[in-house]
Amino acid sequence: MTTRPRLATDVNYVNGLAALALFAVMGYVFMTSELGMPAGFADGSITASIGYAMFDMLDQAAIEAEGFLVAFIVIALVLDAALDGAVMLARREDDESVVAAITDGGRPLSGRESDGADAETATDDVTGGDD
Amino acid sequence: MAGAFDFVPAIAALPLLAFVVSLFAGQYMPKRGAEAGILATAGSLVLSIWTALTVAGITGSATSYNENLYTWVAGVADGAVTLRLGVLVDPLTALMLVIVSLIALLVHVFSLGYMNDEGETGLPRYYAGLGLFTASMLAFVFSNNLLMAFMFFELVGLCSYLLIGFWFREDGPPSAAKKAFLVTRFGDYFFLIGVVGVFATFGTGLFAPITEGGTVVAESFPQMAEHALEDGESFFGYSAQTWITILGMLVLGGVVGKSAQFPLHTWLPDAMEGPTPVSALIHAATMVAAGVYLVARMYGFYLLSPTALAVIALIGGFTALFAATMGVVKQELKQVLAYSTISQYGYMMLALGSGGYVAAVFHLTTHAIFKALLFLGAGSVIIAMHHNENMWDMGGLKDRMPVTYWTFLSGSLALAGIVPFAGFWSKDEVLFEALIHGFGSTGTLGTMFLVAYAMGLLAVFFTGFYTFRMVYLTFHGDARTDVARDPEPVGWNVKGPLSVLGIGAATVGLINMKPIADLTGLHIDFLHKWLLGPEEGGWPALTSTGLHHYEELMHNVAGIDPAYPLGETTTLLVSALVSLSLALAGVLVARSLYNEPEPVEHTDKLGGAKTLLMHNYYQDEYQVWLAQGVTVPLARAADKFDQGVVDGVVNGISSVSLFTGSRFRRIQSGVVTNYAALMTLSLVLLLVVFVVLGGGV
Amino acid sequence: MAIQTQYFLLLSAAVFCIGVYGILTRRNALVFLMSVELMLNAANINLVAFSFHHGNLTGQVFSLFTMALAAAEVAIGIGIVLVLYRNFEDIDVTKAATMRW
Repeated sequence: MTTRPRLATDVNYVNGLAALALFAVMGYVFMTSELGMPAGFADGSITASIGYAMFDMLDQAAIEAEGFLVAFIVIALVLDAALDGAVMLARREDDESVVAAITDGGRPLSGRESDGADAETATDDVTGGDD
Repeated sequence: MAGAFDFVPAIAALPLLAFVVSLFAGQYMPKRGAEAGILATAGSLVLSIWTALTVAGITGSATSYNENLYTWVAGVADGAVTLRLGVLVDPLTALMLVIVSLIALLVHVFSLGYMNDEGETGLPRYYAGLGLFTASMLAFVFSNNLLMAFMFFELVGLCSYLLIGFWFREDGPPSAAKKAFLVTRFGDYFFLIGVVGVFATFGTGLFAPITEGGTVVAESFPQMAEHALEDGESFFGYSAQTWITILGMLVLGGVVGKSAQFPLHTWLPDAMEGPTPVSALIHAATMVAAGVYLVARMYGFYLLSPTALAVIALIGGFTALFAATMGVVKQELKQVLAYSTISQYGYMMLALGSGGYVAAVFHLTTHAIFKALLFLGAGSVIIAMHHNENMWDMGGLKDRMPVTYWTFLSGSLALAGIVPFAGFWSKDEVLFEALIHGFGSTGTLGTMFLVAYAMGLLAVFFTGFYTFRMVYLTFHGDARTDVARDPEPVGWNVKGPLSVLGIGAATVGLINMKPIADLTGLHIDFLHKWLLGPEEGGWPALTSTGLHHYEELMHNVAGIDPAYPLGETTTLLVSALVSLSLALAGVLVARSLYNEPEPVEHTDKLGGAKTLLMHNYYQDEYQVWLAQGVTVPLARAADKFDQGVVDGVVNGISSVSLFTGSRFRRIQSGVVTNYAALMTLSLVLLLVVFVVLGGGV
Repeated sequence: MAIQTQYFLLLSAAVFCIGVYGILTRRNALVFLMSVELMLNAANINLVAFSFHHGNLTGQVFSLFTMALAAAEVAIGIGIVLVLYRNFEDIDVTKAATMRW
């Protein structure tokens, strides 16, 4: 049995109006604002300048920026931690095996039990559905 | 230079230390804590005598002392009240300190015989109670302000409660303790309001002004009241006179409760359930005196209000007579003494009310001695009788316990007011002062004094009667029970205090033999001089608690003046003779009725009157009725108001917030979508507001 | 000729509101994640736009960091979705109500 993407029918359109209202207000504000023309970048390689900015070598950068070395390191650590966290969360408590993400749209699976065999079948089904 | 006055706080601190030692270490002492109490009270006595000698000007130059020692609530703002603890030493204080510490010492020694030798348990608790009581009483005596006095006033009440209920496993004592506590608390409630009133009105509770190098740095409230009266000020919409009377009457509530005056006297007879030494110390000589002492302490204030004085005199006179009549029919030794205590404190109140300051202090002194003696004598009899207090089971103890008999007789003669024992001189002076001031004072005040005098005079007869009825029933005639035939012997620790007090009861009256002084022209009225001061002008005028100042006030403000309808000396002699002959008449009637081998209960002939007297004029009944018939419904109504209206409003308000809370709770749905929607809408709203307001620029 | 900054802003607002719309109307946790991603990228557009507007590269550098952070967020988010599914056998956000009052 395969599943295919289906149109969501349990959509709460009333709440969606709030998003539309937000867009209307923001659009009104932005279009009535007078920001003037952008200044644009100075001549030179933007990519190179970004690289220099990340490593605090601002004197070699062609375009004005600020140093971001510390933020760079912090982000590196955060990414690492997030990866570890994701692996830890994804690990099953009982058999320590990493399970693939199940993308079935939150639909309840019939007959899904906690025993391993059933879970495997269910995973297979879903994977098939994604293809 | 460290003079005696620097050690005055130690007079109270020593017994306090004894309290702690007895409480925590009493179990490990051979006498279960009595040692600490005896040592501490002996120390207090020595220090008190030193203080008295200093006040007399013998061992130092300063003759009075008034200092604040410790501030426990400092008023910050202008006009805020600062609460302090301090020490005031003047002749009255010094005298009282000596009395209290002397009696306390003797009672501690006596307790060795009454409690230890009888094999009581829980003695550390007993001695701790005595120690705490002695400390509080002494601190009360040297308090220099009204609030401090109030605090220690309450503490002695607490100790009284603890000690009356010492035998808490029996039925009577706990109930009596509770009654004593509640009844005195009822009076103290008014006292507390009075204290607050005094502080609110004058901003200070000092009894006497504090001086530094001859200038007054802090005025006392009696003085301020005096000035207010002179300047015709008014307080809270009342004239100074009325307001002073109100405050005086409020404080008097505490006095009436503590000194067991009508109508709050009902606790004292019940308090006899406590151990007899406790009755001697607390319910005869010292704590009950606290009320009278308080009036004497702030006498300068009471003198400003003739109304209050008249009330004091009437209460005193009435109580003296009223209690004496009840003493006539009682069958238990200590009950008779309890009613006589009430009656004698009535005399003191009578004296204070009618302007007899010296007489009151004199009677306070002599009464403390002879009533402590009588109670200790009664305690000795009770030991001998194996704790049977019924006088009808005694008889003939005279030959079997001579020391007790002779000392008890000395006390009884003093109580009855037979010349030359102590009670005669003091009681005579009380009545004499009431008489001359009754004749001399103008208007209703004089009449009131005369009425009070008449009641006091009548009470003299009853006093003589019930005292000797007690003596004859207990010591004379044939022994009526086996126990009385073979009483248990008592030891030195009982006889010692009895002898000291017995001699005292016979001689202490000599300190102020006013009739003799007037007749012979000799200046032997020592107490008068003691209170008046060494030279003319009296005790340091700056303290304004001297007799000289009081006499001025009495004349100028209260309108009390002496008058001698038969000339000064003759009046004095006639008054003395009348009271003496009445006392003798009482004694003789008692003798004729009860001095026989097999006395019968002659009071049975009184019929209905006896029933009335045995039931104490139904005082307890009507007070219980008041409590149950009036107070309980009132309290119930108040409770209903509290539950219905006050709580109703509170609950109503809370139910509003509960309701709104339960409504607002619904937006906390736990669904992220809803939160997000709310945030979005709020952001939209915020932006719209900014746009409308012009971007906030 | 450079495009005026407010059009960038309008674009970013549109992307952001699509993200908000997704969060408000859907109940699937994965769609939530995607919507959040949209909103983050709307912020990125803003950063780049203002970077260009002021001629300063800081905004661009910062948008790179934002992307890295978004990656971390998705990693954690998907982990949470996994756990959610394991515990509730569903990734409907309204079903996970055990800790609700």
